[in-house]
Amino acid sequence: MRDVYVIGVGMTNYYKKSPLSAADLGRQAVFNAVRDAGIGPKQVQSIYVGEMPGLSGSICFGQRVATTMGMGGVPMMNVESACSSGALAVNLAVKDVANGVTDISMAVGVQNISATRASGTAFSPDANDPEGVQGITMPGIYAMRAKRYMEEFGATPEDIALVAVKNRRHAMNNPRSQFHDPITVEQVVNARSISDPLTLLMSCPNTDAGAAVIVATKEKAMQLGSKPVRFLAREVTSGIFSNGFRDMTSMEITVRGAKEAYEIAGVGPEDIDMVECHDAFAINEHLYTEAMGFCGHGEGVEFIRSGGNDYGGKVVFSPRGGLLSCGHPTGCSGAAQIVEATWQLRNEAGAMQVPDCKVAMTHVTGGGIYGLDNAVCTIHILSR
Amino acid sequence: MTEKTAKADEQEQVIFHPDFFKIPEDGSKPYLVGLKCRNCGQLWFPKLPICPACWSETLDESPMERVGKLYTYTIMNVPQPGVKAPLAIGYVDFPNGIRVGAQIDVLPDQMKNLRIGMDLQVGAGVIREDKNGKKTISYVFRPLAASKGGK
Repeated sequence: MRDVYVIGVGMTNYYKKSPLSAADLGRQAVFNAVRDAGIGPKQVQSIYVGEMPGLSGSICFGQRVATTMGMGGVPMMNVESACSSGALAVNLAVKDVANGVTDISMAVGVQNISATRASGTAFSPDANDPEGVQGITMPGIYAMRAKRYMEEFGATPEDIALVAVKNRRHAMNNPRSQFHDPITVEQVVNARSISDPLTLLMSCPNTDAGAAVIVATKEKAMQLGSKPVRFLAREVTSGIFSNGFRDMTSMEITVRGAKEAYEIAGVGPEDIDMVECHDAFAINEHLYTEAMGFCGHGEGVEFIRSGGNDYGGKVVFSPRGGLLSCGHPTGCSGAAQIVEATWQLRNEAGAMQVPDCKVAMTHVTGGGIYGLDNAVCTIHILSR
Repeated sequence: MTEKTAKADEQEQVIFHPDFFKIPEDGSKPYLVGLKCRNCGQLWFPKLPICPACWSETLDESPMERVGKLYTYTIMNVPQPGVKAPLAIGYVDFPNGIRVGAQIDVLPDQMKNLRIGMDLQVGAGVIREDKNGKKTISYVFRPLAASKGGK
């Protein structure tokens, strides 16, 4: 397989309520990425668009985004696996270039949640799901993980709040983030309860955004003079059905996905400088620092108390502010993480810059389906 | 509630799902129904058409014990549409090795008494009601001491 490089990235702001339609969010991201790559739009040979359909209400949403930008006539596919949709689009674009199907491909992730969904409701599994029909919500599932994690490992609400406070501090340096005001541990634990023990400030907000990533061969990247950012691994895996006594404090699909990604990339946790993870809820950094091997199972409490997941620590988690402060434009988030990681590896991340950032990992899961840890886990490892 | 509307409500009830749990007509207590694969012996819940482990299509009903231990739970204050908050929900581990997620039917002022590891038993209850008043009846969990309590 051929090496694959990022040659262009673009994104919109993370909006609480976007002034642009879903298709226009996509167009703005694509425009920025094509300009960033320094190519013409017709040089893109395949296009993948990730979006959670049913939210936009649109079919063939990618065509709505790209054809009026003169990019039609190439293979264009719309991909969906809940919050992983945008990352899956990147995976497929990279796969085309790696396999020699194309020399230049593009992935787009878009979501306009505010136009299609009332605030004050929680994302939930399908109504036909045996747990979905019982009323379970995504915050509810993560709250149950948090409850068990606290019981087993002695974490407190204040421990969980530390992650929300840190990610907000990081977001203050991100001009595109939805939130910029600092928050305190006290504010986080005393915020309105969403699903005990998770409060509003421990939960990611609904958000609208678009992100685009253009990838190419090494030869194209060199011709274009791109700052080299290379994919070391692209990993997608799906959940494994089980009715048994699953350990809900050990994120099975991420443990498995991260292990496979490290093997493909030929690196280990000690080589990773920064991670954008699926921090949809503040407990997730405890769960994922452990699942990704930055510390042992149950050691996330001490790891996070001591700042192991922050600037100056072992690895910087969520330097852009994460889903918790940027917000979570579901189908877009996986692509947005790769845009932000690319800026870090190019040393273009401004005040967010992780010092001497050599290797970055992005991670997004998705989907609440009974019997599965998560429906999907998508991981990319990139290096400069 | 008048007798007329009560009757209308009764007609608008659906059970989720008759294959998943039984409410015996002799008045004995409701129980969940696991499925045991006749080929590989693996147990599943709820009913599946094909054994995910060995693809056998022959699965036998295997009534489950009525009491299990609460693995974890939460009280949801922002619910799905059609479900009233606050709502307690949890995963219960049964002696046959199966974990089941469902609502915990306790009054809001009793929710503070829920504890990881406590025994809960299976009961039948209304788990949701749509905007036309159509009720869905399904399995719920209840504390042993308050088997007739609830909402």
